[in-house]
Amino acid sequence: MSADGLTVRDLCVSARRGQESIAIASDMSFSVAPGEAIAIVGESGSGKSLTARAVMGLLPEGVTASGEADFVGRDLLTLSAADLRRLRGREMALVMQDPFTMLNPLERCGVQIVEALASGRGDRLSRKERRRIAGERLREVGIDDPAVADRYPFELSGGMRQRVGIAAAIAEQPRLLIADEPTTALDVTIQREILELLGSLRSAHSMGLILITHDLRVAFSVCDRAYVMYAGSLVEVAPTPLLARAPRHPYSLGLLLADPPSDRRVEELVGIAGSVPSPGSRPPGCPFAPRCDYRIGACTASLPPLAEVGADQFARCIRADELRVELGTRLAAAQGGEQGGEATLATPLEGEPLVVAEHVRKVFGGRGGSDVVALDDVSVQVAAGESVGLVGESGSGKTTLGRVLVQLEQATAGSVRVGGVELVGTAVRRRDAAAVRDVVQMVFQDPYSTLNPARTVGATLKEAAALAPGGMTQSSGELLEHVGLPASYAARRPAQLSGGERQRVAIARTLARRPRLIVCDEVVSALDVSVQAQILNLLRRLRDELGLAYLFITHDLAVVRQITDRIYVLQRGELVEEGPTATVLDAPSHPYTRRLVASVPEHPQSGAIGSR
Amino acid sequence: MSATADPTTDAVAARTRTRTLPRVPPSVAVAALLLLVVVVCAVVPGLLAPDSPSQINPLEGLQPPSAAHLLGTDALGRDVLSRVIYGARSVLTGPLIVAIAVLAISTALALLSGYRGGWVDGVLGRTMDTLYALPPLIVAIVLVGVFGGGYTLAICVLIVFNIPNSFRALRAAVVERRGLPYVDAARSLGVPPRRVMLQHLLPNIVPLIVAGFFLRLTYGVVELSSLSFLGLGVPPGSADWGRMLAENRAGIFENAWAAIAPGVALVVVTVSANFVGDWLYERVEQKRRSR
Repeated sequence: MSADGLTVRDLCVSARRGQESIAIASDMSFSVAPGEAIAIVGESGSGKSLTARAVMGLLPEGVTASGEADFVGRDLLTLSAADLRRLRGREMALVMQDPFTMLNPLERCGVQIVEALASGRGDRLSRKERRRIAGERLREVGIDDPAVADRYPFELSGGMRQRVGIAAAIAEQPRLLIADEPTTALDVTIQREILELLGSLRSAHSMGLILITHDLRVAFSVCDRAYVMYAGSLVEVAPTPLLARAPRHPYSLGLLLADPPSDRRVEELVGIAGSVPSPGSRPPGCPFAPRCDYRIGACTASLPPLAEVGADQFARCIRADELRVELGTRLAAAQGGEQGGEATLATPLEGEPLVVAEHVRKVFGGRGGSDVVALDDVSVQVAAGESVGLVGESGSGKTTLGRVLVQLEQATAGSVRVGGVELVGTAVRRRDAAAVRDVVQMVFQDPYSTLNPARTVGATLKEAAALAPGGMTQSSGELLEHVGLPASYAARRPAQLSGGERQRVAIARTLARRPRLIVCDEVVSALDVSVQAQILNLLRRLRDELGLAYLFITHDLAVVRQITDRIYVLQRGELVEEGPTATVLDAPSHPYTRRLVASVPEHPQSGAIGSR
Repeated sequence: MSATADPTTDAVAARTRTRTLPRVPPSVAVAALLLLVVVVCAVVPGLLAPDSPSQINPLEGLQPPSAAHLLGTDALGRDVLSRVIYGARSVLTGPLIVAIAVLAISTALALLSGYRGGWVDGVLGRTMDTLYALPPLIVAIVLVGVFGGGYTLAICVLIVFNIPNSFRALRAAVVERRGLPYVDAARSLGVPPRRVMLQHLLPNIVPLIVAGFFLRLTYGVVELSSLSFLGLGVPPGSADWGRMLAENRAGIFENAWAAIAPGVALVVVTVSANFVGDWLYERVEQKRRSR
């Protein structure tokens, strides 16, 4: 076995659109040695996924790659489709993001794991042999129950499916494993297990690992070296501990700062203004220049080279040297952390809280009598002006509770009073239903379907404003400015907005209705880190200005730390812990909460874990 | 509930917005032109037809094409070309009425059924299933035969039997969109159900309605002509392509054109309508998808 891993030089990926060719990624050079783990880090639109797919020879129609990708003595980019097919699986393998669609729903897991396996001479293995190997691989990914091999994917949880996917990827013991956002769709507790699994597998098999992620914490927890991508080019390359301590490109610093810490609250989150440009509309010169705090005239002149700025550290910034101290100081300042306004508990106002939910039970009727209990004896209160977190993993019932409050679902039993109106057990009169809507409104998770694609932003906002108590008082222009968008956006359609902008419009839409409480359902989880911070800051500002109360539904403990005073922790529909945010997160008392807190990958600024 | 973030849509198709002028492919241009000709024939047949479509001239029966009669004459000596031109009227009006009525009714029912769900959905769905189980042409033949024919009755029967198909497609689209956050948002803002259906759901199923319209139009042409061919539907003697096909079969050896011309005209109309409909659907759908 040759000891060489993968070496990519000057890889360019471009897509054809009509006559023109649009660069998706350019001048990508990176290498992975056997047993080494590297991370390609970037936000959406950076081109990281297609870069990896180019290496695997799995580019979609109309997208082409040029350059060199040397893998065990062969150039992957010049290999024929048949040769590549022989390499895939045997020599290199891919683990994909979505565990729910990665596996074929019609085949048993065991079959999928050993699908491509053949004996040394290329014959099909015997049935017994295949079973043995499937069981072995499953044990390797931490599934000790051999019965899993006989199950269908839909019978398994997301985390289990991802394990099966990994088992299938490593079935033939490839030398290179590419994992494309392997944990993004998973709950935090499972995310940690999968990351640890990937880390141990690569050392056990001395396998090269390329981890593609948008999350610096994930990269730092598993990888030796990180390649930071922005808008199609590498902006910084450094060993992970070094990158965490002393980033040399303003974008890397921006990413580090934008990622909220989970162990303390910071005064003001530092987002990166604007959003990632899409391929085809990238600015000339340094693509990051328009969003950079340290921009000078020369930045937009031409794309700077990726220059060595220190031992084993490269940055694509013409000011890398002069900014070294400045960037370090800013990071240190953020780390030292003005322990910003820790949970100033809102003084309970006179009268009843906005929301009083007691012993709420919600059962979804499954077919054939298989009922699903989404909420079981959950009691929650939200007072005026208070920001309350509802924390839990998928299936914990947190979204269901939110939907009950805005009358999108009906609770099965218990009592839910919103603004004094009882929502459970009685037919809610029309006038009362309207009164409840005057109190509570909701912002939804997915920015891409939260706005009606057929209507302009202005029409959406006007409709909401017209329904507000006392009629329309704010124009859509005012509303847009309130959430930090130019008034001219009223004429746009959702298709012309970025994810962050759409989420701002969605917030403006609820504000138009002038509620006193906003249920925020995972409002930042689909957004890039740099944009996430902008939205969290906006929500904080609106709360200060308007005295809003929030019910913040999230799985992200760092986010909940930044924005809430009190939290409730839900596990499988049951309330397991509640209390002031800082108290619960610093000294969790319930085992489940302890597990949640322990699962958060350590903050990049506190250094890497587990690498080497 | 967990992060369905999709940072892997990284590039390409994702948020690329191309606003190019519609380039009409040649096949669609030709189809549209042919349809236009048929429409003109239907609106002002008198301007184009060389003769009256109903002038009987027994002495000139079953003549092959000549300078006087470009497509010859039928058994009663009527000018075939003129009858084909006048026939455009009945071949378009009936199916147009059918298509418009079917889409209007099935859109309304689909919105109601898909958005309301519950018993409304149940009753409507089962009704449609029942209709589906009956063969439309045979029922039409029986009804029209029993009640003594009539164009109006034929059209009504076709409307009723064409609804289930469109209804199912549109209802599925409504159900798919009903669960989207923008509909949830409208509901929780307190937007009245009628407005949710008309302002939030209807505009987003327009591409399907457009496609359905042209599909129903072509079905209508074929089905109505079939009824005419069987002697049901249009009254005897009127210039109608289906009827002409039937009447002129007998003289196929004397003047083949009398039977061929209306058949060709039928094929041209249905194929053209399909081409135009498909293209329009793609256009509207693309515009909607450019999110």
